[in-house]
Formats: sequence, C-alpha cells, structure tokens
Amino acid sequence: MRFDASILVDYWPLLAEGAWLTLRITIAAFALGYLAGIAVALLAILPGRLPRLMASVYIETLRNIPFIIILFVVYYGLPFSGVRLPATLVGTAALALFASAYYAEIVRAAILALPRGQFESARVVGMSPAQAMWHVVAPQVLRTLVPPSTNMTLTMMKESAVLSSVTVPELTYQSLIVQGNTFAPFEVFAAVAAIYWLIAIGIAEASRRLERRVGAAQAASVSANPIAARYLSLDARRPS
Amino acid sequence: MGFKFEYLLSILPDLALAALVNVRLAAVIIAIALMLGTMLTVLRSLKLRPVNAVVAIVISFVRGTPLLIQIFIAYYVLPAVGLDLTPEVAGIAAISFNSMVFVSESMRGGLASIDPGPLEAATALGLRPPVIWWKVVLPQLFRRIAPVLINEATIVVKGTALLSVITVVDVLRTAQQMASSSYRPFETLVGAALVFLVVNLAISLAGKTAEARFAATRM
Repeated sequence: MRFDASILVDYWPLLAEGAWLTLRITIAAFALGYLAGIAVALLAILPGRLPRLMASVYIETLRNIPFIIILFVVYYGLPFSGVRLPATLVGTAALALFASAYYAEIVRAAILALPRGQFESARVVGMSPAQAMWHVVAPQVLRTLVPPSTNMTLTMMKESAVLSSVTVPELTYQSLIVQGNTFAPFEVFAAVAAIYWLIAIGIAEASRRLERRVGAAQAASVSANPIAARYLSLDARRPS
Repeated sequence: MGFKFEYLLSILPDLALAALVNVRLAAVIIAIALMLGTMLTVLRSLKLRPVNAVVAIVISFVRGTPLLIQIFIAYYVLPAVGLDLTPEVAGIAAISFNSMVFVSESMRGGLASIDPGPLEAATALGLRPPVIWWKVVLPQLFRRIAPVLINEATIVVKGTALLSVITVVDVLRTAQQMASSSYRPFETLVGAALVFLVVNLAISLAGKTAEARFAATRM
C-alpha cells in the first residue's frame, strides 16, 4: 500500500475548513460549558440538600451517558419541542452541555480544596479582602484548575468528532466525505488524525504556558532512590 | 405529539437486551486493555530508550486523536493492509488499543505514589524483578488505581456506543432502528440514555463496594 499524497493536495481545502470549524466549536463549547460548569459547581456547594442533589443529578446523568447519545437526544429532542436550529449550533450546545458536567466537578473540587487559612493569613498580614483574593487565593485555585481543565478540554475537542454523525461539517464529517469520494481511507484518516493531533498538541502547549505563568505544581519525584526508580518510574534515567 | 411515556416503557426491555451487546463488548475490551496495559507499563519500566520513544509517540497519538477516528482507522484502513475485520472485531481492536494506553498512563501515575520500602526489602531478599513486579508492585498498584480503572470501565462502556457508527447493532443502533419504524426518535433515544445510565451507575456502585471491601481488608 502506498501513500498517495495527491488526494490530500486536491482535498485540503475541505479538510482545512473542517479543522477550522472543529477549532471554533471547541472554543465556543469551552466558553459555554465552563460558564455552565461554574454555575453548577456553585449550586453544588450551596448549603442545603436540594441544590446539592440537583447538581449531583445533573453531573452524574451527563457523565454516565455516552456523548453520542446526549447529542442525539438534544438533536432529536429540540425539534420535538418545536425548536429548529442549525445542526452546528445544536451540536455545539450539546458538546457544551456534556463538558459542563465535567467542568462543574473540576471547579467544585478546586473550591473545596481551597485552604481557608490562606485567605485569613493574607488578611492578617494586612491585605484587603480583594488583595487577598487576587494575590493569594486566586493563583492557587487557578493552579489546581489548569491541569484537569486542560484534560477535559482535550477530551471535549476529541468528542467533537461525534458531531459528524448529525451532519455538522467539522473535520471528521469532511474526512468521511473525502473518503467517500476517493476511497482512500489510509491517506484521509492519516491526514485527519494528524490534524487532530496538532490541535491537541496546541491546546496542551497553551495550557503548559498558562501553568508556567500560574506556577507549576510541585511534581512528586521518585527521588534519587535507584530501586524506586527501577520499578516506579517509566521515564529514562537521567544522568545526575 | 407529546412525549409518550408508555411507548418509552414498552421499548425498555428490548433496549436492555441490546445493552447486553455493549456490556459483552465492554467486558472483552476491558480484559484486553488491562492485560496489554500492564504489559506496556512493565515494558516502559525497562527504560529502553528506542522502545520508550516509540511508545511515547503511540501514546501521544492515541491521546491526541478522537476515538471515533481510531475506530474508523480500524474499520476502513486495516482492510486495506489485508486485515479484513468484522465491525465488532474492528471496534474491539480500536477501543482496546485506546484503553490500553489510558490504563498504562493511570498505572504510571499510580506508580509514583507507591512506597519504595517494600521494594527495597524485596530486592534485599534477592527476589527477581518479575517476582517483584508480580508479588509486590502490581498488587499495590491495582489496589491504588482501582477507582481510576472503574472510571475507565465506564468510559469503555460509553465508547461502545460509538460502534453503532460502524454498523454494530448495539443499544444506540437498536434505538435508531426502532425510531425509524415508530417515528419516535426522542423516546427511543431517551430509552438508550437510561440504559447506559443504569449500566454505568451499576459499575460505579460495584466499584465503590469493592473499594470499601479492599480498604477493610487492609486494616
């Protein structure tokens, strides 16, 4: 089997268009999903049983159903209740809905892990409440938020491929069209996988920069203990 | 045409039956992924530079591309190299490969939290590395990452729904077939969602019970 690059030369505008839409859908669903996630997280930490119960039903339901089914339920359920919207809009909303449950869980955990003493200590050394929030609390919460949020955003970006099954013309949809026209699955899917891979690397890199700005979390090193390193580390030995 | 609750109830038995397909596929996939994931982890621990470099690329690829694309690759591309797989087998291959990587990465995370003391003791006693892996490292490791593996199991169950796209007749495809004859896609899809919800909540609950049992025996 050989790799026929001419197919990609002919069809790259379709794939580029799809990649651009995938990127825009990911960004929109991230913004929408995170806002909804924060709202649900706040609901989850309210005093009282009812709000907490509502939040956990929301989170558990969305987390235990495959995204493709959430998407179909939203896609077929909206027209059912009289709302007709373009597929791309519905798909993005469904993706945001799906991601919001995970973001809610991330935000909730970060808020609960927040050490109260930090805020109080900052106040004691003479900071105003706003200064204490901005200089002491926020950087620490942000630090715990960044890695899991990045992971979830990567997962969501990859799940956006499922939108192809409701005719949203994103990257996977375009790749299926090109594959249908050319019968060259190897070239098409290799190219599409590479594009997704690049987007994922881009998101991971952006997050790494953000993480460096907010201060890297202390990595637990398996130390200089050679026996521990032999079994408990998968990274190549570094000359010390 | 409102939401017909009786219709939803009437299709639930058939959907539950179709869910057995998802559960069966998921069980096979999880078994394969656990085995291959463990082997991959031990292989990576040997720290052979060229091997680990290749593994790193494979991991980055699997984590950086959608599962759906990986399923398409197994289903459309493998026949082109002479591997003509049935949809089910292609699906099992794709999801197992994907899950293997996530299992190995979870193990890598778990390894960092293991106390080196027992390993030093085992080494001092002269136990050979395979024995140390099998008797000392892996039992602790699996106990430690059990919650992550339970979570991975629910992810695999959800992943099997994607196989409907390559014509595996699972819960989702059954729901779609019902909808095409009854013109009631909303009810059938809500039914499919409920079935997945029940399966995954059952897995999570079983996992929590098992964990509590584990925790009790350790004390």
